[in-house]
Amino acid sequence: MAPLLDDLTGALRQGLGRAGEALVSLSGTDPETEVPLEAEAAVPVAPPAPVVLEARDLTKVYGEGGAAVRALDGASIEVRRGEIVAIMGPSGSGKSTMLHMLGALETPTSGQISLGGERYDGLDDSGLTRVRRDRIGFVFQFFNLLPSLSAEENVLLPALIAGERGDAIRGRVRDLLGRVGLAGRVEHLPAEMSGGEQQRVSIARALLRDPELVLADEPTGNLDSRSSAEVLDLLRELSESEQQTVVMVTHDPGAAAIADRVIFLRDGQVAGEIEGGSRERVSEAFTALRA
Amino acid sequence: MRSFSSLALRQVRARRARALLTAAGIVLGVGMILGVLLLSATINRTFSDLYDSVYGKADLIVSGSGEDSLPKSALERVQLTPGVEEAIGRVIGIFSLVERHRGKPPDPGNELNVAGQSPDAADVTDSETVAGRDPRRGREIALQESWADANEIGLGDRISLATPDGERKFDVVGLFQFSSGFEFGGEGFAVMPLASARGLLDKPRSFDEVDVIIAGGDRTIATVERRLEKRFGKGVQVETPDRKSQDIESQLQAFNAILYFFAAMALFVGGFLIFNAFNMTVLQRTREIGMLRTLGTSRRRITGSVLREAGLLGIAGATVGLGLGLGLAYALAELVRALDFPVGRLVITWWAPAVAVVTGLLTAVLGALYPARRAGRTSPVRAVLGTDGLRSQIRPRRALIGIILILVGLAGAFWLGAADETTPLVAAAGMAGTIAIFFGIAMIAPFVVRPLVRVLSWPVRVVFPVEGRLAAEAARSDPGRTASTATALLIGLALVIAVNSLGSSFLKTISDEFDQAFARDLTVQPSGLAPGQGPQQTIAGSLRDRLAKIDQAEVVARERFLFTPDLPGRKGKTESDGLLIAFDPSEYEQVDTTDIQGPPRDQVFRRMERGGVTVGEGHADEENIEVGDTLRLEGPSGQRRAPVVGIVETALFGGQTVGMSLETLRKVWGVTADTELALKAKSEAARPVLERKVRRIVRQDYPNLAVLSNDELKADVESQVNQQFGVFYAIVGVAIFASLFGIVNTLTMSVLERTREIGVLRALGATRWQIRRQVASESIVIGLIGALLGIVVGTGLGYALLQGLAAGIPGVQYRPPLATMAMVAVAGVLLGLIAAILPARRAARLDVIDAISYE
Repeated sequence: MAPLLDDLTGALRQGLGRAGEALVSLSGTDPETEVPLEAEAAVPVAPPAPVVLEARDLTKVYGEGGAAVRALDGASIEVRRGEIVAIMGPSGSGKSTMLHMLGALETPTSGQISLGGERYDGLDDSGLTRVRRDRIGFVFQFFNLLPSLSAEENVLLPALIAGERGDAIRGRVRDLLGRVGLAGRVEHLPAEMSGGEQQRVSIARALLRDPELVLADEPTGNLDSRSSAEVLDLLRELSESEQQTVVMVTHDPGAAAIADRVIFLRDGQVAGEIEGGSRERVSEAFTALRA
Repeated sequence: MRSFSSLALRQVRARRARALLTAAGIVLGVGMILGVLLLSATINRTFSDLYDSVYGKADLIVSGSGEDSLPKSALERVQLTPGVEEAIGRVIGIFSLVERHRGKPPDPGNELNVAGQSPDAADVTDSETVAGRDPRRGREIALQESWADANEIGLGDRISLATPDGERKFDVVGLFQFSSGFEFGGEGFAVMPLASARGLLDKPRSFDEVDVIIAGGDRTIATVERRLEKRFGKGVQVETPDRKSQDIESQLQAFNAILYFFAAMALFVGGFLIFNAFNMTVLQRTREIGMLRTLGTSRRRITGSVLREAGLLGIAGATVGLGLGLGLAYALAELVRALDFPVGRLVITWWAPAVAVVTGLLTAVLGALYPARRAGRTSPVRAVLGTDGLRSQIRPRRALIGIILILVGLAGAFWLGAADETTPLVAAAGMAGTIAIFFGIAMIAPFVVRPLVRVLSWPVRVVFPVEGRLAAEAARSDPGRTASTATALLIGLALVIAVNSLGSSFLKTISDEFDQAFARDLTVQPSGLAPGQGPQQTIAGSLRDRLAKIDQAEVVARERFLFTPDLPGRKGKTESDGLLIAFDPSEYEQVDTTDIQGPPRDQVFRRMERGGVTVGEGHADEENIEVGDTLRLEGPSGQRRAPVVGIVETALFGGQTVGMSLETLRKVWGVTADTELALKAKSEAARPVLERKVRRIVRQDYPNLAVLSNDELKADVESQVNQQFGVFYAIVGVAIFASLFGIVNTLTMSVLERTREIGVLRALGATRWQIRRQVASESIVIGLIGALLGIVVGTGLGYALLQGLAAGIPGVQYRPPLATMAMVAVAGVLLGLIAAILPARRAARLDVIDAISYE
């Protein structure tokens, strides 16, 4: 409970500081000309972190001719190191498609994506496979884990795929499982764990090879509120203490609230962006978007 | 888990029961292959051991070809040939043991192969006297010890043996044993003095063979061989014992080839099961595979992982199959022995298990090849999408390929039927053709599943309207899966129909010919008469004379058969085996009315009396022989040119026959003993009296002979044919059994897919029994589809094979095996019911709440 409160107050503090900017940006005014509300109490701002992920004019068209569907229509985003960015939108907005592009699961019809400055939108299947193996970690909504493997083995999987072996890796696996609070579940099969625990194992697995980017597709979509909170806390913690970059697709305002920024998509395009931190604000913005 | 490769092992261990079901086909197929390999090795070894034991010390054997004889003078001529150290002349016959309790006919599997030779002659067999001494005079005889023991005969006993000359008593003065410990099934060996043997076998002036011992090495043997060949001319064979056993082995090739074929089919079904099971598994694991792809697993590694899984199953299945195969080999050997085909102890070679395992492994991997590649093609997006929108497209192009394959396959089957000899190439072509047909059907099947389901589910829907309808939906929803499950079943059923249609067509033809051509009333022949399967017993002339004296007998016609591996043709010996049939034309005319092409019948028979011959239609077609041509007859007793006076329309022996007068057979081949007697009564009223008298005489004095009415004769031939087919049905039965596992697998998957649906049905009030009936209905529909397609394919295959065979045997017509078809249809229903038992129980036991919330 205590750590949770800490995080909440921290988030609130940050959110309050940026509240003004957020409202202004939604209405289209340039925030840089405004004076921050709590200038005296402002924390010294560190130099902006480097851009880890950059996507320009992403377009994805499915089908041909009259039956063509434009799932994404010229969307661009930018994510810096250590940020948690949430992508929200109504169904059909293209948020899942965007995630698939970013995660090197599919190639865009046009546009560019780069990770750490290197483009990967035009790579062939082997190239994409390598990106997924070495540089990106994925967490899905459900069915993440192989049912026949224990928690430890599931986390070990990416290393085995990459051909790494040995005790060093095993040690790291145990550390990660401890990190996500599952030291006691190492030998358990997925069927023996709750939904929240399974998601935490997935997060541990996503982190095993120290990826530049972690992508999460509705990570709390299948969980009750308590498990959701556990998972979201974990993500927040990873972002702060380890500078882990996270991009999350979600329809849950509570989940989006832990993000540093929330990007809204509508009809395949970016429709707006607010600072994260407050559940209510995100809800309001989301509703406003749909109107 | 140590490396990515071991993921395959984990997957297998996680679903052990499913893996077992999948591998069941491999287990059975490998078992069958091993069983057949061991059986054929045993048969081959039996015959080579036979020659090693019985002719162990002989370097050359001089004989007629087949079962015919050399003139008495041959012995001296051999002895005088330079290089010959010793020459031993023998006459050979078959006696049967007469049971102590009278009335029981002798067991043909218990026969005694008797060699009569001069007591002073050297011993060419590789044997040792174990007790007593050599027989020197009169009715003394020496027996193989193991046979004597098996029949509870001891040294010094007086035993009754049925000989061609009637029942006689013999004194057992000696027992011997082959140094190799050779066993010839239940048959035994005996030696007796030459003079008595001549009398009993009615061979006063001939030798069946002259065995030669040569002082010197291989080169000397070869030289002497050539010398003897030159000295004796065309009708006589001079061979080393090795060559002789090789000759027999090559005759067994055809039987071997057929056995391999059926065993290969059983394994093929196993491969099909793997294909089906892995297709389903890959589909079921779509999300998992997609997830692995998101983790960065390459396509090749996914494919490799699936193939590795298949390989593990293949090895596991093959290993279990080895144990099964050993048992099957014993069973097959017993089965073959029960068909009076003597085989020795089971031979276990080292290479047979290796071949069986490798074949099983290959089959498993090949079966999983297509599903493995499909798995590799899984897009990583599937981790999220699962199987949404993933419907297997059924491309029309596949139907086209399927039809082409079927046509090619039928052509191959036709070629197999039409071939004169079953060489390995022909057998391979036939096998490839049959497999092509099954592949073709597998490709076409998905297209016909939907209409078939609608039609075949009708009976089920009549009895159980709701369950039937749901079951039909289930079967229709994945036509590919339904089709490949039904295909596994139809392979076995189609083979049953094809083989059966061959049998029934032949039987019908022979039966028709019997009805049409037989003008006789009664037949007397040795029990277990089977020309072509080694030396046959004969009938003494004295019996014929006795029967001819019966008042009621109009005629007692003598028939002499001689199986020969090289029927005479226009230029001498041909390569075909066939039957020489000799009779007295004036006698035979009265008991036989087979159609003869050419001049009118009585002219044909008159000309035969003067040395002319008739030729069976099959042989005539093959060798382009017509009436008026001349055949060159070459035998151990002499040579002749004979004009062809008629072509006989017969299916007997496949039409591979040459008919001649008794005198011609004697002059050329030296045969003087009757093989069969055909009797005709003076009148309709006299017939039963004649039969009674003949049966009495034969039963009293000639216990090794059988008296058969026309119906009994037909039944005898039928049972012989059916018995031979029995071995093939046994093997095919294994294939059908294997396909059961495929159905169980499919049903289990189907239940799993429909878990939520079943939950909803139960929530709406469906009872457990209704659920069971639904699963059972789906299974019955699959079974019926398999049966129907099996009947169609089997009929086509049988027809193609028969047309090919009929090219050489005119008059054979295709007769659809209707009774078998009905049985196959019933079998489809029954197999469906049996396969459904376990899956239906599982479906019925699903907890309603769990089922509804199943993702």
